[in-house]
Amino acid sequence: MKQIFNRVLTHPKSVLLLLLLATVLAASQMRHIYIETDMDAMLPKHSDAYINKQVLEERFGSTDMLIIGVINDEEGGIYNKRSLALVQELTDWLAEQPHFRTLALNDLLSLSTIKDIRGSENGLDVEKFMDGVPQTEAEIEHLKQRMHEFGLYEDVIVSADGSGTIFAVRPMPDTRHQYAEVYDLVKAKVKELEARGGSEQFYISGRPVIEGVFGVYMPAEMKRMQPIIMALLLLLLYLSFRTPRGVLLPIAVVLMAEIWMLGTMAALGAPIYTVTTMLPILILAIGIADAVHFLSRERLLAHYQAYAHRKERLIEVMHELWKPMLMTSVTTGAGFLSMLASDLPPIRDFGVFAAVGIAYALLITMLLLPAALMLLPEKKQHDERRPLFSGYVEWLGRTVLRYPRRIMAFFAALLLISVAGILKLDVNASLVDQFKPGDPVRKADRMLNRHFSGTTSLDVMIDTGRENGLLEPVFLQHLIDLQQELEKDPMVGDSSSIAEFLQTMNQALHADDPAWKRVPDSSDLAAQYLLLYSFSGAPDDFETFMTGDYRQAHIRINMKTDETKVVAALLESLKSKTDLWFPKEKGFKVEWAGTGFTVHRLSEMIIDGQVASLAVSILAIFLLCWWMFGRLLIATIAMIPVSLAVTVNYGMMGNIGIPLDIATALTGAMALGIGVDFAIHYLHRYHEESVAGRSYEESVINTNRSVGHAILFNTFVVVGGFLVLLSAALYPQMKLGALIAATMVICYLATCYLFPVLLGLGREKIRV
Amino acid sequence: MKNMKKRTTLLILTAAFLLAPPAYGAEPTGLDIMKRVDARDDGDDLIQKMKQRLVDRRGSVREREMISLRKDYGRDNKSITYFLAPSNVRDTALLTWDYDGIEKDDDQWLYLPALKKVRRISSSDRGDYFMGTDFTFEDIKQTPELEDYHWKLTGSDSIDGHDVWVVEGEPRSDELKKNLGYSSTRYYIRKDINMYIRVDFWDRKGQELKHLVSEEIRQIDGIWTAMKGTMTNVQTGHRTELTFSDHHYNSGLSDREFSERMLKRGYRDSSQD
Repeated sequence: MKQIFNRVLTHPKSVLLLLLLATVLAASQMRHIYIETDMDAMLPKHSDAYINKQVLEERFGSTDMLIIGVINDEEGGIYNKRSLALVQELTDWLAEQPHFRTLALNDLLSLSTIKDIRGSENGLDVEKFMDGVPQTEAEIEHLKQRMHEFGLYEDVIVSADGSGTIFAVRPMPDTRHQYAEVYDLVKAKVKELEARGGSEQFYISGRPVIEGVFGVYMPAEMKRMQPIIMALLLLLLYLSFRTPRGVLLPIAVVLMAEIWMLGTMAALGAPIYTVTTMLPILILAIGIADAVHFLSRERLLAHYQAYAHRKERLIEVMHELWKPMLMTSVTTGAGFLSMLASDLPPIRDFGVFAAVGIAYALLITMLLLPAALMLLPEKKQHDERRPLFSGYVEWLGRTVLRYPRRIMAFFAALLLISVAGILKLDVNASLVDQFKPGDPVRKADRMLNRHFSGTTSLDVMIDTGRENGLLEPVFLQHLIDLQQELEKDPMVGDSSSIAEFLQTMNQALHADDPAWKRVPDSSDLAAQYLLLYSFSGAPDDFETFMTGDYRQAHIRINMKTDETKVVAALLESLKSKTDLWFPKEKGFKVEWAGTGFTVHRLSEMIIDGQVASLAVSILAIFLLCWWMFGRLLIATIAMIPVSLAVTVNYGMMGNIGIPLDIATALTGAMALGIGVDFAIHYLHRYHEESVAGRSYEESVINTNRSVGHAILFNTFVVVGGFLVLLSAALYPQMKLGALIAATMVICYLATCYLFPVLLGLGREKIRV
Repeated sequence: MKNMKKRTTLLILTAAFLLAPPAYGAEPTGLDIMKRVDARDDGDDLIQKMKQRLVDRRGSVREREMISLRKDYGRDNKSITYFLAPSNVRDTALLTWDYDGIEKDDDQWLYLPALKKVRRISSSDRGDYFMGTDFTFEDIKQTPELEDYHWKLTGSDSIDGHDVWVVEGEPRSDELKKNLGYSSTRYYIRKDINMYIRVDFWDRKGQELKHLVSEEIRQIDGIWTAMKGTMTNVQTGHRTELTFSDHHYNSGLSDREFSERMLKRGYRDSSQD
């Protein structure tokens, strides 16, 4: 090892040049970085929710619609000439935009595109509810009455009280990367309409909007947070070192590590997900520790002038530090790599690239700092400066020895409260809940869900296993039964299927007699109705409900929420019904898809991954500690503060009501990985002190004196770094920031207060 | 006999038209050419079998077979179509009285055997798609309503060894564009027989929408007939292939073939007489 260090110090310029080249190379890769906002891409490719979504889009077209709601709170709601003219205008405008697919009825649903199916004495009439803007009161009243009688679109297109109406339009299939532009375009149009000063209020939501806004927020967040965290680091470094090199060198290390990491992600084709936007902050906050350790040690040795030559001194620093630095990096890395136990690509990527970034930070610290220090002019004399928190550290050493019982009692109480909290822990992968409650998107979504059937899609695809299978009366009736069962749930706003339309046609062809509002009596009749419809309506009016061979049916469900527990409960309650009505042994196949289902599967995977990655990280870190310290007992003790901190983390979530989501799910393994460093530093030092023959009390005080500072600095950086996330525009980031910050505080307290007490309990055995 | 005579007259007229084109030198205008297309003889009545193949972008196919009878009444015409396959719509029949111009809506009746009832169906917009095919009601007419378009001859070309006129038709008003669903159309018309063999359509946003290609053009009973027509929607990837066979032109179909009674009775081979 020393030879390698020697070589680094002999060729400092070459080392710097190499580092610079690597950085330029990485930076050049960064232009390939792309942002992934598609929620389905957060699922592994083998997940049924992912596969079914593809199948759904292939068979029935995408159900991800952009939704615009118009609400008029005045008397009579939107049933007035002005509002209806706006409906017509906006519909025409949407139809003309190249960003939208407007080939079939279900591509653009609005009050002015939907069709009324009506029976007359001798025929069937299929015509638009609105053929142009109605001009007279009577025409408007007629429109209102027809909407109500037809029923299928009530609450779906027009709210039952007539106060509002919606537009649902399908973006072109290949425009996902343009969702933000599409949103801006629609926003501008809506603003123009609002500027005319009518009483209509417009709200825009739907999955394309949500994904588009994510796509805008994510890079903006990264750009915005970088300077904040840099400023924080500069401040902390200045307080610690008060020299230009002490501030700038560590910053250079972490910036380089960040660029290398992002370059690696780009080169490997890993996209940026919402959670991986936090990686740069993470690397800045964690990566800085090694550089700080290095510089502190170097300065100490320089102060005591222990080595005659700068090169010898630097070799000594490197030699002393490489092992503990490697150890802490390995344990932290193990914490992050344990995220590989999750099936979800964003979490896996987060773990892998965090580990990669940490490795880079270590490598760059060991290369850049010695090389740079070799080249920079040597300072004649280093002043000894009393570290900033010396008073506190001294106080700490004495206090913990004085009040062991109180400390134990405090942590015991904390543990109890936390365990109680864990029992209340919830999971929620909702897409909408990722926005803060005051965010315009979330407000619009809430408004639309209040007035209409809901903005979250849930889809059932039922394969009858044979051509023309869906025309069978029994099958059609079961579709209706399933819809009725679904609609019992108050969070299900509406469902629609081909069976409903066939019922309506049956009624229409029997002189609109409500008694005939039932599914056709025979398969042939159903086929003939559909043929009949194809003469009056457009054939693709139903392409979203069934396949051309009449084999596969699709029930489209609108839900008022995408909260995990609602969807999970609904799916659970329907399982027995679908098994009964569409039995597998008779060739039926029932598949779920849509945003609601994606959220459901995401949640399951978050929980599974959570448990697995926690188990893996605890085990891995425990084994590493055992190997490092060589004693089972010490390894066990090393695990106590982090385990406690992680327990408190989940307890807090349960108690405060923060659900596990794709971001907060990261906290456990992250806290473990970062927090265990404190324990390792502390134990390492304590171990050395006691090997040197000091008593328990002396050891504790000395340990605090020497590593207490470094741990405190680390805590400040990590807590400060993650608190920056409190300014995030996205809710999960904010929550994750607060949680990690709080957990690191607990971890610090557990290390510096609880540890000495525990070590005191077993002082006879632990003394080596 | 009466039919024979009429047919002969027509043949002579057609021949005269073909053999004595307007003097060269003055190129015809787009409208002139479209008028020739409109005037092309397609018989006074026709019985033909038709096979529809609807192919979606995934390649799955839905097939229908039908037999249809048509008779001209001046510029109006009546037609009746009986479904032969698939079996669940067999004996379904459609009767259409198609009036020239756009002032009067067409009349349509459908007989549903499972319901044993004739139902009148509301007339469709010209831009509405027809029977689940890629053809709109406007497309299935032999020629579009000439007065609704600006016709412009943009040049000549050669398709499969035939010289063609290239004529572009743009609907005259935004209202018409909206109704028809097209912002522009382009016809490729064979110079020798005044029949279009390819049509391109652009949607209201100005994007390429559909292609119609007519193939296997041959003379039957002296009348130029395309045995196959394929309409491909390039946006949806869906296409409709129509194959025609068993043509009988000018067989003197009687008026009662196009009545509600026949609609219910269903198709019998003997109805050809």
